[in-house]
Amino acid sequence: MKTLLADFHIHTLLSPCAEIEMTPHHIVMRAAQYGVDAVAITDHNASANAAAAVEAAKNYGVKVFPGMEVECREEAHIVVLFDTLEQLAAWQKIVDANMSGLKNNAERFGAQFIVDDDDNFIAEEERMLLGPLKLPAAEVIQKVNAMGGMAIAAHVDRPSYSLLMQLGFLPSDMGLAAAEISPAGIRELKEQKLKLALGGLNYVTDSDAHMMDSFINGPKNLITVKSLTVAELKLALAAEDGRSWQPGCFLENRDY
Amino acid sequence: MQIKEVINSLNLQLLTHTGDMQGEVTGGYASDLLSNVMGQAEPGMVWITMQGHQNVAAVASLIGLAAVVVAGGAPVEEETLKKADANNINIAVTDLPAYVVAGQLYALGITNGK
Repeated sequence: MKTLLADFHIHTLLSPCAEIEMTPHHIVMRAAQYGVDAVAITDHNASANAAAAVEAAKNYGVKVFPGMEVECREEAHIVVLFDTLEQLAAWQKIVDANMSGLKNNAERFGAQFIVDDDDNFIAEEERMLLGPLKLPAAEVIQKVNAMGGMAIAAHVDRPSYSLLMQLGFLPSDMGLAAAEISPAGIRELKEQKLKLALGGLNYVTDSDAHMMDSFINGPKNLITVKSLTVAELKLALAAEDGRSWQPGCFLENRDY
Repeated sequence: MQIKEVINSLNLQLLTHTGDMQGEVTGGYASDLLSNVMGQAEPGMVWITMQGHQNVAAVASLIGLAAVVVAGGAPVEEETLKKADANNINIAVTDLPAYVVAGQLYALGITNGK
């Protein structure tokens, strides 16, 4: 059993709203430098930079979970995590088939860059990644679970793009593994206000970083697991057999 | 005005089978944020939304709404209709945009009820 620091919600420069400094290589390099053991790459409705992060991480001893921040039909965000790039690629196919078909306006929303593991430009994603898929939340979660992944309701405390705000409450049979509290919501978390609304669902705290400063300074989780797999993460959330999941953790040395 | 008269006047398509059609409509509310509807809508109101998630039926039941109108041709999930029928909730759909539905309700004399 090992205790590790992990951040499961990080955007690369493929997300239109993320800074150009958020290359896959740069993220895993800083993770290693600041002692973050595991990260998840979660771009909006896209995954083209996940493989570069997995590749780059091999040189830094950082674990990368291939993931995505999915926007479901209800206009809420769901962080999904997988063990392998193959699983993520299969999920991306479903996402591709359910996109709006709109083109991105880079001047209005920001550019969407695909890069390799050494920061070299590969392509610009032209489809509009922001915006809801045609898939409802229930179907997103059910499909991701069936493919061996896990689903976390993103930033449920925020007024927009939150499953909790869109749906009023989170049905217990939705299949969510956890609910994420945004960095801004951690004060409320301490007051336990959100606990009731979450209906007993465990909460996690990730940086949701769109720039390096928020990755370094943002909240993380201290998890105790046997290994870094999706199955172990689920067991940690359930506190099975000595495993644990402690949200609301920050880096000790946060100067960046 | 009774629910069935509202549904007929606006030419809405009723998708559920067990709801009360004789109840008086007390007002209307429009929102796609269910958290907001839970705090603002009142019993007997017609709720206009574009959400089709099963929580729509739960919120309507919780508040005691007269009917839910899913506007703009938005899809309603099967589970939502099942839940609505189990809780005697009326759910009707229309291709009309939410704005037009609200305007037509006002024209029938159904305001926000407050």
